[in-house]
Amino acid sequence: MNTITLSVNHRAVEVLAEPRTSLADFVRDKLDLTGTHLGCEHGVCGACTVLLDGVPARSCITYAAACQGADITTIEGLDEDEVTAELRAAFTREHALQCGYCTPGMLVSARDLVLRLPDADERRIRVGLSGNLCRCTGYVGIVRAVQSVIETRRARNIAPQAGGGRTILGPAGSGRATSGGNEQPLRPARQELAPASESSAPDVIPDFTPATVLDQRFTLPHAPAKVFAMFDDIKSIAACLPGVSLTAPPKPERVEGAIRVRLGPIAAAFEGAARVERDPATLSGRIVGIGTDRRSRSATQGEICYRLVPIDGGAATAVELSIGYTLTGMLAQVGRPGLVRDLAGRLVADFAGNLDRHMSGAPLREVAPAELGGLPIIFDVLRARLARVFGRFFAKRGGAG
Amino acid sequence: MKPAPFSYERPRDLNAALAMLAANGSAKIIAGGQSLGPMLNLRLVQPELVVDISGLAALKRAESSRDELVLGALVTHADIEDGRTPDVTRGAMRGVAANIAYRAVRNRGTIGGSLSHADPAADWVSALAALGARLTLRSLAGARTLAVEAFVVGALESALHAGEIVEAIHVPARAVSAHWGYAKSCRKTGEFAHAIGAVLVDPAAATARVVIGAIDTAPIVVTDAAELFGGRVGADYKQRFDARIADLLIAKAGINDAVRRHIHVSVLKRAVHEAAA
Repeated sequence: MNTITLSVNHRAVEVLAEPRTSLADFVRDKLDLTGTHLGCEHGVCGACTVLLDGVPARSCITYAAACQGADITTIEGLDEDEVTAELRAAFTREHALQCGYCTPGMLVSARDLVLRLPDADERRIRVGLSGNLCRCTGYVGIVRAVQSVIETRRARNIAPQAGGGRTILGPAGSGRATSGGNEQPLRPARQELAPASESSAPDVIPDFTPATVLDQRFTLPHAPAKVFAMFDDIKSIAACLPGVSLTAPPKPERVEGAIRVRLGPIAAAFEGAARVERDPATLSGRIVGIGTDRRSRSATQGEICYRLVPIDGGAATAVELSIGYTLTGMLAQVGRPGLVRDLAGRLVADFAGNLDRHMSGAPLREVAPAELGGLPIIFDVLRARLARVFGRFFAKRGGAG
Repeated sequence: MKPAPFSYERPRDLNAALAMLAANGSAKIIAGGQSLGPMLNLRLVQPELVVDISGLAALKRAESSRDELVLGALVTHADIEDGRTPDVTRGAMRGVAANIAYRAVRNRGTIGGSLSHADPAADWVSALAALGARLTLRSLAGARTLAVEAFVVGALESALHAGEIVEAIHVPARAVSAHWGYAKSCRKTGEFAHAIGAVLVDPAAATARVVIGAIDTAPIVVTDAAELFGGRVGADYKQRFDARIADLLIAKAGINDAVRRHIHVSVLKRAVHEAAA
């Protein structure tokens, strides 16, 4: 807990808060200004939009500590604001709200449009409000209300405010901390987290229908029978899978393990178990697994079907993988399956390279940082799921930095 | 939906920030927080230490000379959109900035942060590659420069070393004879693009840079794009645009789905048409 000093609705405020406290939680929980609403809490829905140094900002992904010295205006601070008063009247007249949950954020964004865009037509207003979601009205009344205020003000020849009145560079709300540099670093009240894991391996691994399936293929310069035999050597296979470790001695039909996957700054570690099925007649197999990532409270079910196809007259093998997975929890909330594909592609390439080196008797290349333990194909599964996992979370908007 | 606890430091200058980064391997730099914030809230990222550089005045500069514009990493999308920074691209960057996410996000999201995050669907990753921009990366060991197309190496993977940050972006002046086109396809306005096309065509100089972005990995950057225009870049480049070559390039980048390739080609074609308009 540290002292955060800023101005809210023209009142100087000095309150203790943890560094991780969002500006939204700060005004709601510490100052009882509950007009700022929280919807998605990751910057998508716009319900939490407030004015930060006079311009709109997402208070759910802006930390109060980063606003040291800044001026915050919440919906409660706009009672006397001329533009907001006109908007309130127009919202009432045009039935621009029903449940009211989006309205505080909607008014803050609408006010900004009115000030900056005196010539906005319906399309520009709709684009301008696209970062504020409303689930009741269908937007028609909201757009009409904003348009009527813009038109009235244009008729009254009220000049626009370029840039919303902002004249300095850099993130809104930044750079206002009192200089000096002798500030204490803010330390969180760090509770000890629960111990890493009791055994999280499930006893029963159910079948499932994957929500997403992606195909991968690679070739190995070894005969199919040799590759198939290799696929039965779970410890060796595991060693070829970047980030995989076994948590229990593998059995031919069941493997328990973990896979760590990293995608940019995101790291996940899925722990779980997988069931292994093999069909020597068709040189194919299937691995069905289930795992959880404690940190992101996400769970995944994954399935890897592989088939070995002889190529080059049987001297080499094409490994055809069909990777299916279903992801639930935090990681699933952010739907970016595409990124997973890139990650999965990189992992499969590392796996294929290591397999080849292993089968040729060459030393494995350290592909993944940390642990290349012993793990089986499951890894595939696991890693694939992770991959997917990762791939999906990034829910952000348009590349905002 | 609340971040895991982290420590927070507000360094007094860039060197102090770099020292904090070097001393703590799990530290994350935060600027506007519009990419990192959601990931912290979702607990996808759980750093021990967050180093807030948003107050560093040295990273808020914007200086233009005859040949190039130098933007500090902390310049926001709204700064560029509103024209608070000089422009050497004759409106190209303003147009891109104005369509990034939403205004409330643009008011805090920074150009350096967006690049550092290296999301393939982010606008600057593609737009700046097409404009031929370069980056200055700084660590305690010193500075180096890198072309934008060499900076993004995969989904959320950049060429940044441990302890290194993006310090500045160098954007070359756009030639008077150079045409600019930028198009993207988003399922919802302001959300991540599913396809981006960016073209810088100079018929007078017979040169073209073409970027096919938002392909889930580093964008396809064609620095000498004559092949996309039947072998030469001339005044009739719009008519000569060869969608089949674009499709081949996209297929080569690993996009097997014909529908997705069609979307990418269509978006690129829009960018070419915009440039020629």
